[in-house]
Amino acid sequence: MTIFWFLFKEGFKGLLRSKYSGAFSIIIIAVSIIMVGFGYVIARDTLFAVGNIRSQFDVDIFIVATAGPQDIEDFHQKLRSMNEIDQILYISPEMAAEKFKKEFGEDIFDILDYNPLPPSFTISLKSIYRNLMSVEAIASILQRDSIVDEVKYRKNFLIILEKYQRVILVVVLVVFAVLTIISIILTSNSIKMTIFARRDIISTLKLIGATNRFVKMPFVIEGTLEGGLGALLAGLIIYGVIYVQNNYLQSFFDYRLNVSLRYYIALFVLGLFLGWVGSRRAIRRFL
Amino acid sequence: MISFINVTCSFRKNAGVKDLNFSIDDGEFVFLTGPSGAGKSTLLRLIYMDLFPEKGKVLIRDFDSSRMRDRQIPYLRRKVGMIFQDFQLLKDRNVYQNVAIALYASHYKTREIKSRVYDILNQVGLGHRVHHKATELSGGEQQRVAIARALVKEPMVLLADEPTGNLDPRVSIELINLLNKINKKGTAVIVATHNYSLIKRVPGARLIQMNEGEITSIT
Repeated sequence: MTIFWFLFKEGFKGLLRSKYSGAFSIIIIAVSIIMVGFGYVIARDTLFAVGNIRSQFDVDIFIVATAGPQDIEDFHQKLRSMNEIDQILYISPEMAAEKFKKEFGEDIFDILDYNPLPPSFTISLKSIYRNLMSVEAIASILQRDSIVDEVKYRKNFLIILEKYQRVILVVVLVVFAVLTIISIILTSNSIKMTIFARRDIISTLKLIGATNRFVKMPFVIEGTLEGGLGALLAGLIIYGVIYVQNNYLQSFFDYRLNVSLRYYIALFVLGLFLGWVGSRRAIRRFL
Repeated sequence: MISFINVTCSFRKNAGVKDLNFSIDDGEFVFLTGPSGAGKSTLLRLIYMDLFPEKGKVLIRDFDSSRMRDRQIPYLRRKVGMIFQDFQLLKDRNVYQNVAIALYASHYKTREIKSRVYDILNQVGLGHRVHHKATELSGGEQQRVAIARALVKEPMVLLADEPTGNLDPRVSIELINLLNKINKKGTAVIVATHNYSLIKRVPGARLIQMNEGEITSIT
């Protein structure tokens, strides 16, 4: 207990002693966390927006005009039994006419004297099937039914969406990995400066019989504390930016930033992690 | 206690030691003398295993340089006290903390650390300077803090590398007298110096003379 308490106190005092270099490390860690923190929010919201667009993807199934009510009911039943389908909406010719009127402002009966619009189903697929390959397979099965006149869906929309989602995902992962590596390197280098300024302590400790662990621990504790303080600073700045955006700038940028308490806790843990890894990495050179 | 067996070590061009063979017993007082570059500091560094021989081996009680692993070095250094010309004190700490850190590094309990530190500081005549920063002390006092830090672990041998190099003649004599007193209590002392006037102050001390990395005489 003596030794643990001593090393903890040494780490804490080290933080107070380091002053400018310690403050510099805290700022570097805060900048790193802000980069990762905002990077995460932007990536999350981008992927959420893409997912949202994808969720609006529907497949329209047009029924032949000759189909009777029983045929339509049987087909409806068939759709209900398909595992891939999440929601089914039946649109009768009358409902289609209503929709036409709503969308185009004119009554179809005034134009043609009859209703040429066929009955149809609009189905939305479960999220895991909202991809080009599944949609094509499902459409081809439905198309084979004699009651089905045509199956329509926005194929190009799906192609573009899939292409961009993959690109976004890769970009997000690469940016995240790069930001994390940059954060660790920046943190480690700034802590290295702190340690460099006190390298005489390390050589003295080694001469008096201190183990590498004993020499290392105060610096690692100091680095971890710096990480925690950097995270607190970053948390305050992020909170401030979010507050200003949501309360004063939302009318300029139609975007509302939402983060939970868990997000701030995760940033704090990230700060501790960066300080811990950074200081361990930094001290290695001096042992 | 300390044996050099055919030890050769050249860590830089034209420096180091060549084929050293000698031993030092428990409780001895030994002076290493010779001009600058004679190999005195190298010999001391071989004892506290800051350097390892290219040929031969150094035995310090149970520690054998030829079998030594990195993780064992701290345990050797807890048994070997060292003082240097530049004192190597922690400037931002007070006298007590400078001495106590040696015991914390050896995992002593707080209560024992306190009593040992106060005791050793009284022995070196610094009982009244406990709470002063190292930088507030004179050169002689700083060297005494370094001695206290080296002795507080009760080492088997105290190594001193040019300990009087930064001290005036009067303080140098006081320091040698203190080292002599320590030796009389049973701790072996090895002092590397080119200040021959100090050698006369310790009658009965062994003298190892070196030149260009070789021992030229042992008396």
